[in-house]
Amino acid sequence: MRPLVPLLILAVLFAIAPLFVGSYWVSQLSYYLIYGLLALSLSLVWGYGGILCFGQAIFFGIGGYVMAAMTKGMISPFLINSYLSLFCSVFAASLFAVILGYFLFAGKGINGPYLAIVTLAIAIVLERLMSNWYAMGGYNGLLDIPPLNLGLFWFDYELWDSLPIFYTLLITVFVIFAGITLLLKSSYGTLLTALKTHPERLAFFGFSVLQIRLSVFALSAAIAGLSGALFVTVDGFASPTLIGFTLSTEILIWVAIGGKEMLMAAFLGAILTRFAENWLSEIFGDYWILLLGILFMISVVLLPKGLIATPLAALERKLGVRL
Amino acid sequence: MAFLDIQSLDKRFGGVKAADSVTLSLKQGSLTALVGPNGCGKSTLFNLITGALKPDNGHIRFDDEEITALPSHEIARRGIGRKFQVPAVFPDLTVFENLTVPTLQKGRFFSRPGNSEKRMDILKTIRLREKQNELASTLSHGEKQWLEMGMILAQSPSLILLDEPTAGMTAAETAETAHLIRTINKGEGVTLLVIEHDIGFIEQLACPVNVMARGKILKSGTFQSIRNDLEVQELYFGRPEGPHA
Repeated sequence: MRPLVPLLILAVLFAIAPLFVGSYWVSQLSYYLIYGLLALSLSLVWGYGGILCFGQAIFFGIGGYVMAAMTKGMISPFLINSYLSLFCSVFAASLFAVILGYFLFAGKGINGPYLAIVTLAIAIVLERLMSNWYAMGGYNGLLDIPPLNLGLFWFDYELWDSLPIFYTLLITVFVIFAGITLLLKSSYGTLLTALKTHPERLAFFGFSVLQIRLSVFALSAAIAGLSGALFVTVDGFASPTLIGFTLSTEILIWVAIGGKEMLMAAFLGAILTRFAENWLSEIFGDYWILLLGILFMISVVLLPKGLIATPLAALERKLGVRL
Repeated sequence: MAFLDIQSLDKRFGGVKAADSVTLSLKQGSLTALVGPNGCGKSTLFNLITGALKPDNGHIRFDDEEITALPSHEIARRGIGRKFQVPAVFPDLTVFENLTVPTLQKGRFFSRPGNSEKRMDILKTIRLREKQNELASTLSHGEKQWLEMGMILAQSPSLILLDEPTAGMTAAETAETAHLIRTINKGEGVTLLVIEHDIGFIEQLACPVNVMARGKILKSGTFQSIRNDLEVQELYFGRPEGPHA
Protein backbone atom coordinates (compact mmCIF):
# COMPACT_ATOMS: atom_id res chain seq x y z
CA MET A 1 0.00 0.00 0.00
CA ARG A 2 3.01 2.30 0.47
CA PRO A 3 3.16 3.36 -3.21
CA LEU A 4 -0.42 4.61 -2.89
CA VAL A 5 0.25 7.04 0.00
CA PRO A 6 1.27 10.03 -2.20
CA LEU A 7 -1.74 9.29 -4.37
CA LEU A 8 -4.09 9.31 -1.37
CA ILE A 9 -2.66 12.64 -0.23
CA LEU A 10 -3.28 14.12 -3.69
CA ALA A 11 -6.82 12.67 -3.76
CA VAL A 12 -7.59 14.22 -0.36
CA LEU A 13 -6.29 17.61 -1.55
CA PHE A 14 -8.59 17.38 -4.56
CA ALA A 15 -11.49 16.20 -2.40
CA ILE A 16 -11.31 19.23 -0.08
CA ALA A 17 -10.75 21.72 -2.93
CA PRO A 18 -14.53 22.48 -3.37
CA LEU A 19 -14.51 23.85 0.19
CA PHE A 20 -12.24 26.66 -0.95
CA VAL A 21 -13.31 27.40 -4.54
CA GLY A 22 -16.55 28.36 -6.29
CA SER A 23 -18.64 26.25 -8.64
CA TYR A 24 -16.76 27.55 -11.74
CA TRP A 25 -13.49 26.16 -10.44
CA VAL A 26 -15.14 22.93 -9.31
CA SER A 27 -16.30 22.49 -12.89
CA GLN A 28 -12.79 23.33 -14.16
CA LEU A 29 -11.29 20.78 -11.75
CA SER A 30 -13.57 18.13 -13.30
CA TYR A 31 -12.07 18.86 -16.70
CA TYR A 32 -8.56 18.82 -15.18
CA LEU A 33 -9.19 15.37 -13.72
CA ILE A 34 -10.20 14.08 -17.17
CA TYR A 35 -7.12 15.62 -18.79
CA GLY A 36 -5.01 14.16 -15.98
CA LEU A 37 -6.44 10.71 -16.76
CA LEU A 38 -5.64 11.22 -20.43
CA ALA A 39 -2.06 12.20 -19.51
CA LEU A 40 -1.77 9.03 -17.39
CA SER A 41 -2.68 6.99 -20.47
CA LEU A 42 0.12 8.58 -22.50
CA SER A 43 2.62 8.31 -19.64
CA LEU A 44 1.86 4.57 -19.43
CA VAL A 45 2.42 3.87 -23.12
CA TRP A 46 5.24 6.36 -23.75
CA GLY A 47 7.09 6.74 -20.46
CA TYR A 48 6.78 3.13 -19.31
CA GLY A 49 6.14 1.19 -22.54
CA GLY A 50 8.58 3.18 -24.69
CA ILE A 51 5.96 3.66 -27.44
CA LEU A 52 5.86 7.28 -28.57
CA CYS A 53 2.23 7.63 -29.61
CA PHE A 54 1.72 11.04 -31.18
CA GLY A 55 -1.98 10.34 -31.73
CA GLN A 56 -3.30 9.67 -28.24
CA ALA A 57 -6.35 11.82 -29.08
CA ILE A 58 -7.41 9.06 -31.51
CA PHE A 59 -8.50 6.92 -28.56
CA PHE A 60 -9.88 9.88 -26.61
CA GLY A 61 -11.99 10.80 -29.63
CA ILE A 62 -13.17 7.23 -30.28
CA GLY A 63 -14.26 6.95 -26.64
CA GLY A 64 -16.01 10.31 -26.85
CA TYR A 65 -17.86 9.61 -30.09
CA VAL A 66 -18.97 6.10 -29.06
CA MET A 67 -20.26 7.48 -25.74
CA ALA A 68 -22.04 10.34 -27.50
CA ALA A 69 -23.64 8.12 -30.15
CA MET A 70 -24.83 5.55 -27.62
CA THR A 71 -26.19 7.90 -24.95
CA LYS A 72 -27.97 9.97 -27.60
CA GLY A 73 -29.69 6.79 -28.80
CA MET A 74 -28.08 6.97 -32.27
CA ILE A 75 -27.12 3.29 -32.19
CA SER A 76 -30.35 2.00 -30.65
CA PRO A 77 -32.86 3.50 -28.17
CA PHE A 78 -32.53 0.28 -26.15
CA LEU A 79 -28.81 0.87 -25.60
CA ILE A 80 -29.12 4.21 -23.81
CA ASN A 81 -27.29 3.30 -20.63
CA SER A 82 -24.28 5.10 -19.20
CA TYR A 83 -22.58 1.96 -17.88
CA LEU A 84 -23.00 0.07 -21.15
CA SER A 85 -21.90 3.14 -23.14
CA LEU A 86 -18.79 3.56 -20.99
CA PHE A 87 -17.95 -0.11 -21.49
CA CYS A 88 -18.43 0.15 -25.26
CA SER A 89 -16.34 3.36 -25.43
CA VAL A 90 -13.45 1.70 -23.62
CA PHE A 91 -13.81 -1.48 -25.68
CA ALA A 92 -13.94 0.40 -29.02
CA ALA A 93 -10.83 2.44 -28.19
CA SER A 94 -8.83 -0.59 -27.09
CA LEU A 95 -10.02 -2.70 -30.04
CA PHE A 96 -8.90 0.03 -32.44
CA ALA A 97 -5.54 0.10 -30.60
CA VAL A 98 -5.11 -3.67 -30.94
CA ILE A 99 -5.83 -3.57 -34.69
CA LEU A 100 -3.66 -0.50 -35.27
CA GLY A 101 -0.94 -1.83 -32.95
CA TYR A 102 -0.79 -5.13 -34.81
CA PHE A 103 0.05 -3.32 -38.04
CA LEU A 104 2.53 -1.06 -36.25
CA PHE A 105 4.37 -3.65 -34.14
CA ALA A 106 4.12 -7.01 -35.94
CA GLY A 107 7.24 -8.35 -37.62
CA LYS A 108 10.12 -5.92 -37.34
CA GLY A 109 7.61 -3.19 -36.46
CA ILE A 110 8.25 0.53 -36.42
CA ASN A 111 9.63 2.58 -33.57
CA GLY A 112 10.61 6.05 -32.39
CA PRO A 113 9.96 8.96 -34.76
CA TYR A 114 8.45 6.69 -37.45
CA LEU A 115 5.83 5.46 -35.02
CA ALA A 116 5.17 9.04 -33.91
CA ILE A 117 4.67 10.19 -37.51
CA VAL A 118 2.34 7.31 -38.39
CA THR A 119 0.15 7.77 -35.29
CA LEU A 120 0.00 11.52 -35.89
CA ALA A 121 -1.00 10.93 -39.51
CA ILE A 122 -3.78 8.59 -38.39
CA ALA A 123 -5.05 11.26 -35.96
CA ILE A 124 -5.20 13.77 -38.83
CA VAL A 125 -6.97 11.27 -41.12
CA LEU A 126 -9.56 10.48 -38.44
CA GLU A 127 -10.11 14.18 -37.73
CA ARG A 128 -10.85 14.70 -41.44
CA LEU A 129 -13.08 11.65 -41.47
CA MET A 130 -15.14 12.87 -38.51
CA SER A 131 -15.35 16.37 -40.04
CA ASN A 132 -16.97 14.88 -43.12
CA TRP A 133 -19.08 12.17 -41.48
CA TYR A 134 -22.39 13.98 -41.39
CA ALA A 135 -24.25 11.20 -39.59
CA MET A 136 -21.88 11.85 -36.67
CA GLY A 137 -22.39 15.59 -36.78
CA GLY A 138 -19.65 16.35 -39.30
CA TYR A 139 -17.59 19.48 -38.68
CA ASN A 140 -20.12 20.81 -36.14
CA GLY A 141 -19.98 17.67 -34.02
CA LEU A 142 -22.66 16.13 -31.81
CA LEU A 143 -24.53 18.41 -29.41
CA ASP A 144 -26.72 17.80 -26.36
CA ILE A 145 -24.96 14.69 -25.14
CA PRO A 146 -26.72 13.58 -21.95
CA PRO A 147 -24.77 13.62 -18.68
CA LEU A 148 -23.71 10.44 -16.87
CA ASN A 149 -26.62 8.55 -15.40
CA LEU A 150 -25.48 6.58 -12.37
CA GLY A 151 -28.93 5.09 -11.81
CA LEU A 152 -29.63 1.37 -11.99
CA PHE A 153 -32.73 -0.35 -13.40
CA TRP A 154 -35.76 1.97 -12.97
CA PHE A 155 -33.90 4.44 -10.73
CA ASP A 156 -32.30 7.42 -12.53
CA TYR A 157 -29.55 9.60 -11.15
CA GLU A 158 -28.24 12.01 -13.79
CA LEU A 159 -25.20 14.09 -12.97
CA TRP A 160 -26.15 17.67 -13.82
CA ASP A 161 -24.50 19.61 -10.97
CA SER A 162 -20.80 20.33 -10.86
CA LEU A 163 -20.23 18.88 -7.39
CA PRO A 164 -21.55 15.31 -7.96
CA ILE A 165 -19.79 15.29 -11.36
CA PHE A 166 -16.54 16.32 -9.68
CA TYR A 167 -16.69 13.66 -6.96
CA THR A 168 -17.69 10.92 -9.43
CA LEU A 169 -14.72 11.82 -11.61
CA LEU A 170 -12.43 12.12 -8.59
CA ILE A 171 -13.24 8.58 -7.47
CA THR A 172 -13.02 7.16 -11.01
CA VAL A 173 -9.73 8.86 -11.86
CA PHE A 174 -7.99 8.01 -8.60
CA VAL A 175 -9.14 4.38 -8.64
CA ILE A 176 -7.64 4.04 -12.14
CA PHE A 177 -4.52 5.97 -11.07
CA ALA A 178 -4.06 3.55 -8.14
CA GLY A 179 -4.66 0.59 -10.46
CA ILE A 180 -1.95 1.72 -12.89
CA THR A 181 0.44 2.42 -9.99
CA LEU A 182 -0.02 -1.12 -8.62
CA LEU A 183 0.21 -2.61 -12.11
CA LEU A 184 3.58 -0.96 -12.65
CA LYS A 185 4.85 -2.38 -9.34
CA SER A 186 4.02 -5.91 -10.52
CA SER A 187 5.99 -8.23 -12.80
CA TYR A 188 4.16 -6.56 -15.70
CA GLY A 189 5.83 -3.25 -14.77
CA THR A 190 9.24 -4.96 -14.73
CA LEU A 191 8.56 -6.36 -18.21
CA LEU A 192 7.54 -2.90 -19.46
CA THR A 193 10.75 -1.33 -18.14
CA ALA A 194 12.74 -4.08 -19.84
CA LEU A 195 10.75 -3.69 -23.06
CA LYS A 196 11.41 0.05 -23.19
CA THR A 197 15.18 -0.27 -23.24
CA HIS A 198 15.91 -3.63 -24.85
CA PRO A 199 13.04 -5.36 -26.65
CA GLU A 200 15.39 -7.73 -28.53
CA ARG A 201 16.91 -8.94 -25.27
CA LEU A 202 13.42 -9.62 -23.93
CA ALA A 203 12.53 -11.62 -27.07
CA PHE A 204 15.69 -13.74 -26.68
CA PHE A 205 14.52 -14.59 -23.16
CA GLY A 206 11.32 -16.03 -24.64
CA PHE A 207 8.89 -13.10 -24.25
CA SER A 208 6.66 -12.06 -27.12
CA VAL A 209 7.48 -8.39 -27.63
CA LEU A 210 4.41 -8.00 -29.85
CA GLN A 211 2.14 -9.32 -27.11
CA ILE A 212 3.54 -6.97 -24.46
CA ARG A 213 3.49 -3.96 -26.80
CA LEU A 214 -0.10 -4.66 -27.87
CA SER A 215 -1.20 -5.07 -24.25
CA VAL A 216 0.22 -1.74 -23.08
CA PHE A 217 -0.99 0.04 -26.22
CA ALA A 218 -4.53 -1.33 -25.74
CA LEU A 219 -4.55 -0.58 -22.01
CA SER A 220 -3.42 2.98 -22.64
CA ALA A 221 -6.07 3.35 -25.36
CA ALA A 222 -8.74 2.00 -23.00
CA ILE A 223 -7.85 4.66 -20.40
CA ALA A 224 -7.78 7.38 -23.07
CA GLY A 225 -11.13 6.09 -24.39
CA LEU A 226 -12.63 6.25 -20.91
CA SER A 227 -11.39 9.81 -20.44
CA GLY A 228 -12.93 10.77 -23.81
CA ALA A 229 -16.24 9.16 -22.83
CA LEU A 230 -16.27 11.00 -19.50
CA PHE A 231 -15.32 14.26 -21.23
CA VAL A 232 -18.33 14.30 -23.57
CA THR A 233 -20.75 13.62 -20.72
CA VAL A 234 -19.35 16.61 -18.81
CA ASP A 235 -19.01 18.88 -21.84
CA GLY A 236 -22.18 17.75 -23.61
CA PHE A 237 -20.41 18.14 -26.94
CA ALA A 238 -18.28 15.90 -29.19
CA SER A 239 -16.47 17.46 -32.14
CA PRO A 240 -13.67 16.38 -34.53
CA THR A 241 -11.14 18.34 -32.42
CA LEU A 242 -11.42 15.57 -29.80
CA ILE A 243 -9.77 13.09 -32.15
CA GLY A 244 -7.27 15.23 -33.99
CA PHE A 245 -3.85 16.75 -34.30
CA THR A 246 -4.12 19.67 -31.86
CA LEU A 247 -5.26 17.68 -28.85
CA SER A 248 -2.73 14.91 -29.62
CA THR A 249 0.08 17.47 -29.57
CA GLU A 250 -1.24 19.11 -26.40
CA ILE A 251 -1.32 15.80 -24.51
CA LEU A 252 2.26 15.16 -25.55
CA ILE A 253 3.31 18.59 -24.28
CA TRP A 254 1.53 18.12 -20.92
CA VAL A 255 3.25 14.79 -20.39
CA ALA A 256 6.68 15.99 -21.60
CA ILE A 257 6.50 19.08 -19.37
CA GLY A 258 5.37 17.05 -16.37
CA GLY A 259 7.62 14.03 -16.91
CA LYS A 260 6.68 10.97 -18.93
CA GLU A 261 8.41 8.44 -16.71
CA MET A 262 6.50 9.33 -13.55
CA LEU A 263 2.72 8.93 -13.44
CA MET A 264 2.28 11.62 -10.78
CA ALA A 265 4.37 14.10 -12.79
CA ALA A 266 2.45 13.43 -16.01
CA PHE A 267 -0.87 13.80 -14.17
CA LEU A 268 0.19 17.08 -12.55
CA GLY A 269 1.76 18.22 -15.83
CA ALA A 270 -1.63 18.02 -17.55
CA ILE A 271 -3.45 19.78 -14.72
CA LEU A 272 -0.92 22.57 -14.23
CA THR A 273 -0.60 23.20 -17.99
CA ARG A 274 -4.38 23.45 -18.35
CA PHE A 275 -4.50 25.70 -15.30
CA ALA A 276 -1.74 27.88 -16.81
CA GLU A 277 -3.71 28.01 -20.05
CA ASN A 278 -6.79 29.29 -18.20
CA TRP A 279 -4.81 31.88 -16.35
CA LEU A 280 -2.29 32.99 -18.99
CA SER A 281 -4.70 33.08 -21.92
CA GLU A 282 -6.71 35.71 -20.02
CA ILE A 283 -3.60 37.88 -19.75
CA PHE A 284 -1.78 37.17 -23.04
CA GLY A 285 -4.61 35.99 -25.29
CA ASP A 286 -3.40 33.67 -28.05
CA TYR A 287 0.24 34.51 -27.25
CA TRP A 288 0.11 32.16 -24.29
CA ILE A 289 0.85 29.35 -26.78
CA LEU A 290 4.28 30.97 -27.26
CA LEU A 291 4.89 30.77 -23.52
CA LEU A 292 3.84 27.12 -23.57
CA GLY A 293 6.28 26.50 -26.42
CA ILE A 294 9.11 28.14 -24.49
CA LEU A 295 8.23 26.05 -21.42
CA PHE A 296 8.26 22.92 -23.57
CA MET A 297 11.70 23.79 -24.98
CA ILE A 298 13.09 24.46 -21.50
CA SER A 299 11.73 21.12 -20.38
CA VAL A 300 13.17 19.19 -23.35
CA VAL A 301 16.60 20.87 -23.33
CA LEU A 302 17.30 21.57 -19.67
CA LEU A 303 15.13 19.12 -17.78
CA PRO A 304 14.45 16.16 -20.11
CA LYS A 305 13.00 14.15 -17.23
CA GLY A 306 10.27 16.81 -16.92
CA LEU A 307 9.74 20.09 -15.08
CA ILE A 308 7.67 18.39 -12.40
CA ALA A 309 9.34 14.97 -12.38
CA THR A 310 12.80 16.45 -11.64
CA PRO A 311 11.85 18.08 -8.30
CA LEU A 312 9.55 15.16 -7.46
CA ALA A 313 12.44 12.73 -8.04
CA ALA A 314 14.59 14.80 -5.65
CA LEU A 315 11.74 14.66 -3.12
CA GLU A 316 11.52 10.88 -3.61
CA ARG A 317 15.19 10.49 -2.78
CA LYS A 318 14.84 12.72 0.30
CA LEU A 319 11.74 11.00 1.68
CA GLY A 320 12.64 7.50 0.49
CA VAL A 321 9.22 6.94 -1.17
CA ARG A 322 8.21 6.39 -4.79
CA LEU A 323 5.77 8.94 -6.25
CA MET B 1 21.58 -37.42 -33.16
CA ALA B 2 23.08 -33.91 -32.94
CA PHE B 3 21.65 -31.54 -30.33
CA LEU B 4 21.93 -28.60 -32.70
CA ASP B 5 21.99 -29.58 -36.35
CA ILE B 6 22.53 -26.91 -39.01
CA GLN B 7 22.25 -28.09 -42.62
CA SER B 8 23.21 -26.13 -45.76
CA LEU B 9 22.25 -22.75 -44.36
CA ASP B 10 22.30 -19.83 -46.81
CA LYS B 11 21.79 -16.12 -46.20
CA ARG B 12 22.50 -13.33 -48.67
CA PHE B 13 22.50 -9.58 -48.11
CA GLY B 14 22.36 -8.19 -51.64
CA GLY B 15 25.47 -9.52 -53.35
CA VAL B 16 27.15 -10.64 -50.11
CA LYS B 17 26.84 -14.24 -48.96
CA ALA B 18 26.85 -13.97 -45.16
CA ALA B 19 26.11 -17.68 -44.79
CA ASP B 20 27.09 -20.01 -47.63
CA SER B 21 25.93 -23.62 -47.20
CA VAL B 22 26.86 -23.62 -43.52
CA THR B 23 26.66 -27.07 -41.99
CA LEU B 24 27.45 -27.51 -38.31
CA SER B 25 26.48 -30.05 -35.65
CA LEU B 26 26.84 -29.76 -31.89
CA LYS B 27 26.54 -32.69 -29.50
CA GLN B 28 24.62 -32.27 -26.27
CA GLY B 29 26.93 -31.07 -23.50
CA SER B 30 29.67 -29.96 -25.90
CA LEU B 31 31.69 -26.74 -25.86
CA THR B 32 32.61 -25.43 -29.30
CA ALA B 33 34.33 -22.27 -30.50
CA LEU B 34 33.67 -20.38 -33.71
CA VAL B 35 36.40 -18.05 -34.94
CA GLY B 36 37.00 -16.00 -38.05
CA PRO B 37 37.84 -12.50 -39.24
CA ASN B 38 35.38 -9.60 -39.00
CA GLY B 39 32.48 -9.88 -41.41
CA CYS B 40 32.94 -13.61 -42.02
CA GLY B 41 29.35 -14.37 -40.94
CA LYS B 42 29.72 -15.54 -37.31
CA SER B 43 27.12 -13.18 -35.85
CA THR B 44 24.86 -13.77 -38.86
CA LEU B 45 24.95 -17.47 -38.02
CA PHE B 46 23.86 -16.66 -34.43
CA ASN B 47 21.08 -14.44 -35.81
CA LEU B 48 19.91 -17.31 -38.02
CA ILE B 49 19.96 -19.84 -35.19
CA THR B 50 18.04 -17.55 -32.81
CA GLY B 51 15.42 -16.46 -35.36
CA ALA B 52 16.55 -12.82 -35.63
CA LEU B 53 17.10 -13.51 -39.34
CA LYS B 54 15.33 -15.97 -41.63
CA PRO B 55 17.61 -18.09 -43.83
CA ASP B 56 17.20 -18.13 -47.62
CA ASN B 57 17.81 -21.88 -47.64
CA GLY B 58 18.71 -24.67 -45.26
CA HIS B 59 17.45 -26.13 -42.01
CA ILE B 60 18.14 -25.78 -38.30
CA ARG B 61 17.06 -28.52 -35.91
CA PHE B 62 17.38 -28.18 -32.16
CA ASP B 63 16.77 -31.08 -29.79
CA ASP B 64 15.20 -33.04 -32.65
CA GLU B 65 12.78 -30.24 -33.60
CA GLU B 66 12.77 -28.01 -36.67
CA ILE B 67 13.22 -24.39 -35.51
CA THR B 68 14.08 -22.75 -38.85
CA ALA B 69 10.93 -20.67 -39.30
CA LEU B 70 10.21 -19.91 -35.64
CA PRO B 71 10.29 -16.37 -34.18
CA SER B 72 13.01 -15.49 -31.66
CA HIS B 73 10.85 -15.79 -28.54
CA GLU B 74 9.62 -19.27 -29.55
CA ILE B 75 13.21 -20.43 -30.13
CA ALA B 76 14.25 -19.02 -26.74
CA ARG B 77 11.37 -20.88 -25.06
CA ARG B 78 12.76 -24.13 -26.47
CA GLY B 79 15.95 -23.58 -24.50
CA ILE B 80 18.38 -21.49 -26.55
CA GLY B 81 20.01 -18.57 -24.75
CA ARG B 82 22.05 -15.90 -26.45
CA LYS B 83 24.59 -13.36 -25.29
CA PHE B 84 25.08 -10.31 -27.49
CA GLN B 85 28.41 -8.85 -28.59
CA VAL B 86 27.60 -5.53 -26.87
CA PRO B 87 26.25 -6.40 -23.40
CA ALA B 88 22.46 -6.21 -23.56
CA VAL B 89 21.23 -5.58 -20.03
CA PHE B 90 18.21 -3.57 -18.91
CA PRO B 91 19.77 -0.29 -17.71
CA ASP B 92 16.69 1.00 -15.82
CA LEU B 93 16.40 -2.16 -13.72
CA THR B 94 18.59 -3.12 -10.77
CA VAL B 95 21.10 -5.96 -11.07
CA PHE B 96 18.75 -8.28 -9.17
CA GLU B 97 15.74 -7.26 -11.30
CA ASN B 98 17.82 -7.96 -14.42
CA LEU B 99 18.30 -11.52 -13.13
CA THR B 100 14.58 -11.72 -12.32
CA VAL B 101 13.31 -10.95 -15.83
CA PRO B 102 14.44 -14.26 -17.43
CA THR B 103 12.80 -16.23 -14.60
CA LEU B 104 9.33 -14.70 -15.16
CA GLN B 105 6.82 -17.03 -16.78
CA LYS B 106 6.70 -16.60 -20.56
CA GLY B 107 3.38 -15.83 -22.24
CA ARG B 108 1.90 -14.38 -19.04
CA PHE B 109 1.92 -10.78 -17.89
CA PHE B 110 1.74 -11.58 -14.20
CA SER B 111 3.89 -14.22 -12.62
CA ARG B 112 6.05 -14.77 -9.60
CA PRO B 113 9.78 -14.87 -10.35
CA GLY B 114 11.57 -18.22 -10.14
CA ASN B 115 13.75 -19.51 -7.33
CA SER B 116 15.41 -16.52 -5.60
CA GLU B 117 18.11 -18.79 -4.10
CA LYS B 118 19.29 -19.61 -7.62
CA ARG B 119 19.47 -15.91 -8.44
CA MET B 120 21.52 -15.29 -5.29
CA ASP B 121 23.89 -18.09 -6.33
CA ILE B 122 24.21 -16.52 -9.78
CA LEU B 123 24.93 -13.14 -8.18
CA LYS B 124 27.75 -14.80 -6.27
CA THR B 125 29.06 -16.52 -9.41
CA ILE B 126 29.11 -13.28 -11.40
CA ARG B 127 30.50 -11.38 -8.38
CA LEU B 128 27.79 -8.74 -8.29
CA ARG B 129 26.23 -9.59 -4.92
CA GLU B 130 27.34 -6.27 -3.43
CA LYS B 131 25.75 -4.39 -6.32
CA GLN B 132 22.46 -6.28 -6.52
CA ASN B 133 20.36 -3.18 -5.74
CA GLU B 134 22.24 -0.86 -8.08
CA LEU B 135 20.91 0.07 -11.48
CA ALA B 136 22.54 -1.90 -14.30
CA SER B 137 23.33 1.39 -16.05
CA THR B 138 25.87 2.18 -13.31
CA LEU B 139 27.97 -0.99 -13.92
CA SER B 140 31.29 -1.06 -15.76
CA HIS B 141 31.51 -2.69 -19.21
CA GLY B 142 33.03 -5.88 -17.82
CA GLU B 143 30.38 -6.08 -15.08
CA LYS B 144 27.64 -5.69 -17.69
CA GLN B 145 29.18 -8.58 -19.65
CA TRP B 146 29.04 -10.73 -16.54
CA LEU B 147 25.53 -9.58 -15.66
CA GLU B 148 24.33 -10.64 -19.11
CA MET B 149 26.00 -14.02 -18.58
CA GLY B 150 24.16 -14.24 -15.26
CA MET B 151 20.85 -13.36 -16.93
CA ILE B 152 21.35 -16.20 -19.41
CA LEU B 153 22.14 -18.59 -16.56
CA ALA B 154 18.92 -17.48 -14.83
CA GLN B 155 17.06 -18.33 -18.06
CA SER B 156 18.31 -21.94 -17.62
CA PRO B 157 18.80 -22.73 -21.32
CA SER B 158 20.18 -26.02 -22.60
CA LEU B 159 22.16 -24.33 -25.39
CA ILE B 160 24.00 -21.03 -24.92
CA LEU B 161 25.35 -18.97 -27.81
CA LEU B 162 28.02 -16.51 -26.63
CA ASP B 163 29.00 -13.71 -28.99
CA GLU B 164 32.43 -12.39 -27.94
CA PRO B 165 31.86 -12.79 -24.19
CA THR B 166 35.22 -11.22 -23.29
CA ALA B 167 35.04 -8.08 -25.46
CA GLY B 168 36.37 -5.14 -23.45
CA MET B 169 37.55 -7.31 -20.54
CA THR B 170 40.96 -7.27 -18.84
CA ALA B 171 43.26 -10.33 -19.05
CA ALA B 172 42.24 -11.39 -15.52
CA GLU B 173 38.53 -11.01 -16.30
CA THR B 174 39.02 -12.99 -19.53
CA ALA B 175 40.63 -15.86 -17.62
CA GLU B 176 37.76 -15.82 -15.10
CA THR B 177 35.23 -15.85 -17.94
CA ALA B 178 36.95 -18.88 -19.50
CA HIS B 179 36.73 -20.62 -16.12
CA LEU B 180 33.04 -19.67 -15.78
CA ILE B 181 32.24 -21.03 -19.26
CA ARG B 182 33.99 -24.32 -18.53
CA THR B 183 32.13 -24.58 -15.22
CA ILE B 184 28.76 -24.00 -16.93
CA ASN B 185 29.65 -26.60 -19.54
CA LYS B 186 31.11 -29.32 -17.32
CA GLY B 187 29.23 -28.59 -14.10
CA GLU B 188 25.73 -28.04 -15.47
CA GLY B 189 26.04 -29.94 -18.75
CA VAL B 190 24.97 -26.97 -20.84
CA THR B 191 25.94 -26.99 -24.53
CA LEU B 192 27.87 -23.88 -25.56
CA LEU B 193 28.86 -22.31 -28.87
CA VAL B 194 31.27 -19.40 -28.43
CA ILE B 195 32.26 -16.74 -30.96
CA GLU B 196 35.54 -15.11 -30.03
CA HIS B 197 38.38 -13.11 -31.58
CA ASP B 198 40.82 -13.55 -28.72
CA ILE B 199 42.87 -16.62 -29.68
CA GLY B 200 44.37 -16.79 -26.17
CA PHE B 201 40.84 -17.11 -24.77
CA ILE B 202 40.00 -19.89 -27.22
CA GLU B 203 43.12 -21.73 -26.08
CA GLN B 204 41.96 -21.43 -22.46
CA LEU B 205 38.61 -22.97 -23.39
CA ALA B 206 40.45 -26.05 -24.72
CA CYS B 207 37.60 -27.07 -27.02
CA PRO B 208 37.00 -27.96 -30.69
CA VAL B 209 37.28 -24.94 -32.98
CA ASN B 210 35.46 -24.09 -36.23
CA VAL B 211 36.90 -21.42 -38.50
CA MET B 212 34.56 -19.33 -40.64
CA ALA B 213 35.54 -17.30 -43.70
CA ARG B 214 33.36 -15.61 -46.31
CA GLY B 215 30.21 -17.20 -44.90
CA LYS B 216 31.58 -20.78 -44.95
CA ILE B 217 32.92 -23.13 -42.30
CA LEU B 218 36.47 -23.37 -43.58
CA LYS B 219 38.09 -25.71 -41.06
CA SER B 220 37.17 -27.70 -37.98
CA GLY B 221 39.50 -29.32 -35.48
CA THR B 222 41.36 -29.00 -32.22
CA PHE B 223 42.90 -25.68 -31.20
CA GLN B 224 46.42 -26.95 -32.04
CA SER B 225 45.47 -28.25 -35.49
CA ILE B 226 43.68 -25.00 -36.32
CA ARG B 227 46.56 -22.85 -35.09
CA ASN B 228 49.06 -24.76 -37.20
CA ASP B 229 46.86 -24.80 -40.31
CA LEU B 230 48.46 -22.77 -43.12
CA GLU B 231 45.13 -21.82 -44.66
CA VAL B 232 43.90 -20.41 -41.33
CA GLN B 233 47.19 -18.56 -40.81
CA GLU B 234 46.80 -17.09 -44.29
CA LEU B 235 43.26 -16.05 -43.44
CA TYR B 236 44.41 -14.12 -40.39
CA PHE B 237 47.84 -12.86 -41.46
CA GLY B 238 47.57 -12.78 -45.27
CA ARG B 239 49.45 -14.72 -47.96
CA PRO B 240 53.22 -14.66 -47.39
CA GLU B 241 55.14 -12.74 -50.04
CA GLY B 242 58.68 -13.05 -51.39
CA PRO B 243 60.86 -15.92 -52.74
CA HIS B 244 59.89 -18.39 -49.97
CA ALA B 245 56.17 -17.96 -50.46
